[in-house]
Amino acid sequence: MERDWQFWSRRIIWLLLATATALFIVVRVKAVMYVSKPARSLYQAMEKVPPDKIIVLSCNWEAGTRGENGPQTEALVRHCFKRGKRFAIFGWNFPPGPLLAEQIARRVAPEYGRCYGRDWVNWGFKTGQANMIRAWAKNIPGVIKEDMFHTPLARIPAMRGVKTIHDVGLIVDIAPADTLSTYVRFIYGIYRTPLGHACTGVMAPESFPYLDAGQIVGLLKGLAGAAEYEKLVGYEGDALKRMPAQSSAHMLMIALIILGNVLYFRARRRGPSTHSAGSGQAGSGPSRAASRDGETPRRRLSA
Amino acid sequence: MNRTPAIARGLIWLVALAAVAALGFRHHLFARDLGVWLAAICTLAIYSILYRENVVFRFFEHIFIGLATGYGFSIIITQVLQPKWWVPVVKEGKWYWVFALLMGTMFYTVYSKRWSWMNRLAVGIFMGLVAGLSVVGFVTMLAPQMTASFKPLWASTAPYIRFNNLIFFVTLITVMSYFFFSFEQRHPLVKGSARLGRWLLMVAFGAIFGNTVMGRVSLLIDRLQFLLLEWLHVFGSR
Repeated sequence: MERDWQFWSRRIIWLLLATATALFIVVRVKAVMYVSKPARSLYQAMEKVPPDKIIVLSCNWEAGTRGENGPQTEALVRHCFKRGKRFAIFGWNFPPGPLLAEQIARRVAPEYGRCYGRDWVNWGFKTGQANMIRAWAKNIPGVIKEDMFHTPLARIPAMRGVKTIHDVGLIVDIAPADTLSTYVRFIYGIYRTPLGHACTGVMAPESFPYLDAGQIVGLLKGLAGAAEYEKLVGYEGDALKRMPAQSSAHMLMIALIILGNVLYFRARRRGPSTHSAGSGQAGSGPSRAASRDGETPRRRLSA
Repeated sequence: MNRTPAIARGLIWLVALAAVAALGFRHHLFARDLGVWLAAICTLAIYSILYRENVVFRFFEHIFIGLATGYGFSIIITQVLQPKWWVPVVKEGKWYWVFALLMGTMFYTVYSKRWSWMNRLAVGIFMGLVAGLSVVGFVTMLAPQMTASFKPLWASTAPYIRFNNLIFFVTLITVMSYFFFSFEQRHPLVKGSARLGRWLLMVAFGAIFGNTVMGRVSLLIDRLQFLLLEWLHVFGSR
């Protein structure tokens, strides 16, 4: 009986979580968003980029974090299109990044009457990491050479006047991993080019020291950051639409944590004889449950 | 090993799924795009681990690993070796890039007892390069962060900023004292400070974990949105 409860309790929690999020995906509720200072600072930095300089959207993400980095990229791309800022899509950590960003830009561009080559350029994926970034800062056409469709950069109007890092007005690193430090070390640390960061929720705490030290001008934290930026740009995209589902999942988890702790302390107060009955919420439960639904079938499969 | 009932159950599920798909197709209930269907099946197969480990999950997991490896291999050929080595050597006459191949090959001598000293040479050169870059990184990245950690406690700023700076100062000092391992923490002041530092670290880990949960929920929402709206067309959306 106890083992059955241990087996099903986690599955019930996942089902509740899926239901709580799915409900608010299907039923549209308007999200009320507060725009944080780091998101507003990034927006203002984008606004300040002069027309003779290009914005670099460093898309170092892949399909695994599309749920967070996708809406962030779209919000930044829409801002550039809205204000007529030319930008370059670029990636050097995960190969699919520039391709996924290009799909977003091509989907959004007709809404603003923008076209590839004139308003934006895609440099594609480049290898070499830190060494490439150091060389790129000194000679952009020399390192990039051609766009992702093999057109030489000299023939792309969006690239006019872009020779070195001094022609770049802002770099926004959209990433689920620690790629920002490379830009901080070799771009901001040497050339003082403004940097922005759009990271996943997991990465957000690691980005705050950069923000605190003034090494980045602004920060978008996960899906919430994308929603804040959508509000600043003035459109309701995926991020704002998803915020009610995100909030409902958070509220459910808070309720479950409180419930789990209440059950745990109640079981502990009852004494050791009844402790095991409540340990489905904490303590020895997970290991037993894992042996039932994790290891046994694995052994069965390998047999 | 009686596998027949399991296979029979699997076949029944497959037939049921095919019937639902055919019905959905006929009445335009689902997406008609093959790519969307493939993505939906992959998502459901990977999520099946939430019930328990199973053959379907394993199969799709291996497909994913194979795809990612193959994709990475193709990227190395098309983005690195071909444009950055093959073209300069063969088409542009930059013969000296042959030495890059030599250096790269030296890494593989680790598998030979006789020639493994060449591997150490190559590794040594690259370690030196990375160490040099790290020194630059330390100066340009960490030095400004260290400077920024000196925050004014009595400056003529707003009270809430002074309060924030005080919290920052206390956290910095107590957490640093927790990491003093050069001597035993016997003095009550150091002991108390280290204990507070440990508690503050727990608060920080809680914040990091909260952000991680937020991120994972965002990814779940992305997949659910895809399944419900793009694949199943719930309430005729998209």
